[in-house]
Amino acid sequence: MRHAHGIQYALLGVVSRNPEGVHGYALKRQCERFLGSFWQLNFGEIYRVLDKLADEGQIEQMAGESSRKVYRITERGRQNLDDFILTPPTDAPRPLRQELAVKLLFASAAQMTDVLQMIDHQREAYMSQLHQLGAQRRKIRCLPMDSFVTGLLIDGAEGQVRAELTWLDDVTTKLQERFGAESSA
Amino acid sequence: MIEFQGVSKVFGSGPTAVRSVDDLSFRIPKGSFWALMGPSGSGKSTVLHLIAGLTPPSSGSVRVEGVDIARMSAPESAALRRHRVGYVLQTFNLLPFLTAEENVGMPLVLDGVRQREVDGRVQQALEMVNMSHRAAHHPMHLSGGEQQRVAIARALVIEPAIILADEPTGNLDRAGGRAVMDLIQEVNEQTQVTVLLVTHDPVFAAYGQRVLRLVDGRLQQDMKLPDKPPALDLGVAG
Repeated sequence: MRHAHGIQYALLGVVSRNPEGVHGYALKRQCERFLGSFWQLNFGEIYRVLDKLADEGQIEQMAGESSRKVYRITERGRQNLDDFILTPPTDAPRPLRQELAVKLLFASAAQMTDVLQMIDHQREAYMSQLHQLGAQRRKIRCLPMDSFVTGLLIDGAEGQVRAELTWLDDVTTKLQERFGAESSA
Repeated sequence: MIEFQGVSKVFGSGPTAVRSVDDLSFRIPKGSFWALMGPSGSGKSTVLHLIAGLTPPSSGSVRVEGVDIARMSAPESAALRRHRVGYVLQTFNLLPFLTAEENVGMPLVLDGVRQREVDGRVQQALEMVNMSHRAAHHPMHLSGGEQQRVAIARALVIEPAIILADEPTGNLDRAGGRAVMDLIQEVNEQTQVTVLLVTHDPVFAAYGQRVLRLVDGRLQQDMKLPDKPPALDLGVAG
């Protein structure tokens, strides 16, 4: 649900948290706070989704404001959001490690050194992600808001990366045992 | 600064000899935070022992703050450990019959520092690890995480140049481990102490700016972890 649905409900949710109304800029900032850097939103995307939500009558523009468009959630939008929250997630389990598996399937023994280097490269990328997730965790701790869900998202991402790294270590060990190849330092 | 040049460490001799560290070279700049990762038996702890001067290298040179460990006399290497290197272990190693503050002050007392100065420095170290309110407690009345905080204060009280942390989270649950790692990072940032962490947990190793992966005593991989890597999309959003 990377695009249409996820972002639509994320924005609807944030609008619902602002009963006194909210404009696009504040919305973007609040989204970033709630979701950390998991979703990178740009203004174009936000305004497109807001227009769509307004067309569908899920949010409405408040009258009497300045030049900026200030939105609040409608009864219909709230009902829609409630339905969404209580519907089981549709995310399918992610396909795992397919690309590397295919490479391994067709790599010859002579290519093993290169394959092991590729795995090292992959490991470094994952370690960098963990480093960044740690930095993000410290950052949300300093924010003057409840970042409970962001914390859960970081936990989940860390768990995924950890599993990938464990698997990569395992693949490396087993390839070395099987082919006697050595990964370069 | 810690510098390894072609360092090997062999335990035993003849056919039963074990090469624990094998031709290892690296240079850790002052004030940085590095991690050593690898499966058990990969030589991680031996690297820390070599830095602390607990064991001499079989070949190559280990330099700590510009001084070659192998050229130090026994008293000099003991002085290095007492004054420059703080050690944090998985098992905390607090003395059970002493209070938290007495444990923290022990390295200073053994070093003949005057009690008044000991008191001041202990208080400061306990404040740094947020354990002032537990100063008078004995280890058995502290949680694992609190005991490790006290052990970190004991390492800090000598105002070390280097902290060697050997699986400091090994006896803690995930949250406790994270709190200890946060503390070590904070200490690194605030005091510019050089930190070398040994861990097999990638999440904790990733606190470091640089991660060395050892396998069978050899450097298998040297990873630099940038503060701002490319934006990540781990599929959390789909």
